[in-house]
Amino acid sequence: MSAAPVKSESAATGPAEPAAKPRRAGLFRTAWGFGRTKVGVVLTAAIVLIALFGPYISPHTDTALVAEPYVTSADGSPFGTDYLGRDVFSRFLYGGQILLLLAASAALFGTLAGTVLGIVAGYRRGWLDELIMRTNDILLAFPQLIAALLIMSIIGPQAWLIVVIIGVTHMPRVARVIREATLRIVEQDFVKSAEAIGVPRWKIMVREILPNVTSPLLVELGLRLTYSIGIVAVLGFLGMGLQPPDADWGLMINENRLAITVQPWAVALPVAAVAVLTIGANLITDGLSRASIGIDRGVEK
Amino acid sequence: MIRLIINRLFFGLVTLFAVSLIVFLATQALPGDAASAILGRDATPERLTALREQLNLGDPVAVQYGKWLLAALTLDFGTSFASGYPVAEYLAPRLSNSLWLMAFAAIIGTPLALALGSFSAMRRDRGVDHATSMVTLVLASLPEFVVGIVLILIFSTGWLSLFPPIFAGGSGAVWQYPGQLVLPVLTLVIAVSPPIIRMMRASMIEVLESEYVQQARLKGLPEKTVIRRHAAPNAIGPVAQVIALQLAWLAGGVVAIEYLFRFPGIGLALMDAIDARDIPLIQAVVLLIAGVYIVVNLLADIVGLAANPKVRVSAK
Amino acid sequence: MSSRGIPGPVPHSPGRTPPTRRELLRYGAVGAVVAPALAACGSTADPDAFAGKKDYADPRRGGRLRVGIAGGSAKDSIDAHLATDNTDIARVYNLYDRLTDFSLDYKVVNSLAESLEPNAKADVWTVTLRKGLTFHGGAPVTAEDVVFSLARITDPDDPKTGAAAMPLLDRDKLKAVDDRTAEIRFSEPMVHLPEVLAEYYNGIVPKGYDPKKPIGTGPFRFKEFEPGVRSLFVRNGDHWRDGEPFVDELEIINFPDDTARVNALLGGQVDAISQLPHSQVKVVHAYDHLDVLESESGMWLPFTMRVDRAPFDDERVRQAFRLIVDRQQMVDQALSGYGTVANDIYGRYDPAYADDLPQREQDIAKAKELLADAGHGDGLEVELVTAEINAGVVEAAEVFAEQAKEAGVTVKLNRVNDFFAEGQYLEYTFSQDFWAARNYLSQAAQCAFENSPFNETHWADEEWTEIVTKASATVDDKERNKLLRQAQEIEYERGGYIIWGNPTVVDAFSKKVKGFKPFVGGHPLTAYGFRQVWFEDE
Repeated sequence: MSAAPVKSESAATGPAEPAAKPRRAGLFRTAWGFGRTKVGVVLTAAIVLIALFGPYISPHTDTALVAEPYVTSADGSPFGTDYLGRDVFSRFLYGGQILLLLAASAALFGTLAGTVLGIVAGYRRGWLDELIMRTNDILLAFPQLIAALLIMSIIGPQAWLIVVIIGVTHMPRVARVIREATLRIVEQDFVKSAEAIGVPRWKIMVREILPNVTSPLLVELGLRLTYSIGIVAVLGFLGMGLQPPDADWGLMINENRLAITVQPWAVALPVAAVAVLTIGANLITDGLSRASIGIDRGVEK
Repeated sequence: MIRLIINRLFFGLVTLFAVSLIVFLATQALPGDAASAILGRDATPERLTALREQLNLGDPVAVQYGKWLLAALTLDFGTSFASGYPVAEYLAPRLSNSLWLMAFAAIIGTPLALALGSFSAMRRDRGVDHATSMVTLVLASLPEFVVGIVLILIFSTGWLSLFPPIFAGGSGAVWQYPGQLVLPVLTLVIAVSPPIIRMMRASMIEVLESEYVQQARLKGLPEKTVIRRHAAPNAIGPVAQVIALQLAWLAGGVVAIEYLFRFPGIGLALMDAIDARDIPLIQAVVLLIAGVYIVVNLLADIVGLAANPKVRVSAK
Repeated sequence: MSSRGIPGPVPHSPGRTPPTRRELLRYGAVGAVVAPALAACGSTADPDAFAGKKDYADPRRGGRLRVGIAGGSAKDSIDAHLATDNTDIARVYNLYDRLTDFSLDYKVVNSLAESLEPNAKADVWTVTLRKGLTFHGGAPVTAEDVVFSLARITDPDDPKTGAAAMPLLDRDKLKAVDDRTAEIRFSEPMVHLPEVLAEYYNGIVPKGYDPKKPIGTGPFRFKEFEPGVRSLFVRNGDHWRDGEPFVDELEIINFPDDTARVNALLGGQVDAISQLPHSQVKVVHAYDHLDVLESESGMWLPFTMRVDRAPFDDERVRQAFRLIVDRQQMVDQALSGYGTVANDIYGRYDPAYADDLPQREQDIAKAKELLADAGHGDGLEVELVTAEINAGVVEAAEVFAEQAKEAGVTVKLNRVNDFFAEGQYLEYTFSQDFWAARNYLSQAAQCAFENSPFNETHWADEEWTEIVTKASATVDDKERNKLLRQAQEIEYERGGYIIWGNPTVVDAFSKKVKGFKPFVGGHPLTAYGFRQVWFEDE
């Protein structure tokens, strides 16, 4: 999150290197070759496993009242209780699912929509390109968090709204990158020849262009996923995410932050989970990025 | 070059205009009668009438927008529903608090990041360099409030009790409470630095490998002088844009940090306004933040143009 | 929030400051039914009864007391008769005195009045002032000032907060008999006048009072006031209560935000704060130099079930819901243990309070049976509208949702942030609310008659209405209490409220401040009784 503008900018100029032929399996294999990718996969997998299976191994349900509020440990409650006397560990185990689901949906939605717009703008050019990119620029004028806060303060916190807002704010950033990649592919012979034999435009976009932008696409997906996790978490932290009594890491942090002096676990556990998850996702993205363009993602050369 | 800049400026204005329209439409889309939704339990016929008038609710939407925008241009954002103060008057001290916070972060963070980046570049591929690369990658992925909470856990309530966990302030200006400022400023510094460090490192490596630096070394100049006189000034150019972009990020990123530390700035004002459904205040703060964001992004653009030798040459 | 020059902090911030403006509205509507209660008001009342017995040896004089009060906004007022928010209430308590006062245990005692006696019909009251009373600045307090104050409060062109409770006051016949004696006439019996006059918004002010130069008889004199931010008062050396106040200066600072308020105390920027959130008591206890004041109160945070709408139009469902609640757990979890269990009836400090009714306990089996009888054997799903309108309200909703699971009831929480919006409040089928301590008839007038301003359960029980209407007209205490007992039994059996507990008001202060005592009326910090506190030493 912290570097959102920079990363999208640099990622936009990243794929300026020779657009390699689509070799998706190769991309993953190359990425796996980097040590940091492996670390990223392990970190991410650990959190995803906790999120997916946590509820099944949890000692209590996420809403069960197990002891008095804000004790640091109790019988069957190794990490103590929250402001209402619910088990912090159980809520931690329950709290990842929705966050992951929302973040993944938002990242997918934003990347897909951005890809479509980027390819259309890059291939069709002309007024459509102009319209799409100018609209993008306006959308980019809102910091993502501010846009989310503005809309959610009016409509109220809803899960689908979180997905839509984060997705829409990702869209222009993805579209920029994909448009750049498309522009280079459009110039290539196989596109020209497909045009020459009268292949419909939509087919060219789907069959010729899309497969050739998968590398930047995957990098963008990873990047957007990292940011989505951060924004979903920060919205929860600001009290604009899921509503009580749902267990959610961001919400847990918000609910219990006032007592950080007497019951730090209630904040530390979800904070650690969000931290590990974002770090893991970013490391994977970094590996993918290096593999796709042969350089360290971002600004390193 | 000049034309390019004018072009960007013009587009910045158009964007600002579009943003104001979005903000207005979004806030006007309140379900039902905005006035009674706002007043709630305190609604009396007189107050409803007064508020509807203040919101120009009787006019067509286009006219409402026009009136609102014209007033906003003169910094008249109406009256805060919750406090009864003019929004501008309410926000002014908070804006200055936020600016102080951001200024501290920028003044401390930028030189530190530049130094770290250069240091890393000079020890390329050694342990320090790898460590820096890893740490900045990790820090860059963390949401800023996570950084803040970890700092609170370390320096305030967990291991060490060095600094207060929250900015409580006092009757004076915010900079009169340096102890309370440490954690919020540090959080922001950590949040904005990693990309600057990485960019500075990359840029420095490139410059160090360039011919004129090699020549300077051949001339027998001490390494310190080479770095200070020749390498560093040339390496900073490309980094300038990144710095500007990071400053732009601060405008929005400050919200979660102010909320976490209860720092009385515009970010906290926004959260309070959302809670109280204080529409004029929400409109003003969002416009303000978007405005700062647009302007600083614009500056970054211009700095980028100026730092790009190709554009500079062709403009001559 | 506390920086100088920042105007009006936003009320109703993320913290959980109770919106007292609404409480005020409710006070304002008291007059709907004349509630005769507590007619007698002995002339021998100890002026210090309110302060409680002085159990200290030698309070020290001097120092500036800085207090952080929950709430406040740019609408803050220092007018003796217009206090609305908590910070206003704190200020008027210290600038002005009333003819009567509530004692620590919610009894009415004399204050400026030496005696307040009704005639046989209780439609003419004679008040005699204490001797030697003076206003800030030295002018003597006379019967003329009493007449002026009451006339100002009930000015038909500009009625103040207290006007609604005295609709039958005959303003034209207000009369100063002599310097210290005044006659107050009503067009009908007004047996509970002493109770009404004790309210904080009925202070006595000098003839020609100008709120811009707020003069009263209170323990502190006005010095500075910045609406929405702070005020500074100085010690009134001529105060009629012997020796009080002890501190030289009183600074009241607005803190609408809970976290900021607590942190100001932790950081030593204030010496005391009002309304510590219950779950934060532990936080304060972790500091050696701080202490808390726990005041049991008659406040209540009910669940409200609309008796005219399914599924709650069925008495059995209402009863089942009341049996679902584990009240002790509710207090333990939602209030962190700071409260006492209640029994579905209100008016805790009313002499007629039916405290011998069997305490209702959780009984899931019985609840399930009742629900099955009502046709909900396969489970029931209800929406509970909740909001952060008072500390503990959303927490109670979360606990209830959990407890209801056991009985096969699914409670879906709908947390709204415009709870009191027109057309929504009073419409919710199943919701929550908060009420301050009040005696039974005054409370019933607010919320239980068909035409009451806040009848959130849409209660319109004919039998109950008949009994309570009769009680309202009954002057004899014993007779009236008997009727009120019947009324409470009806509500206990089929009312629309689930009254699970009374929260304890918790304040926090530095240990160097001495003299705070618990007050049951709900106003924090000994009803803002800063005149009786002092600093232990430098």
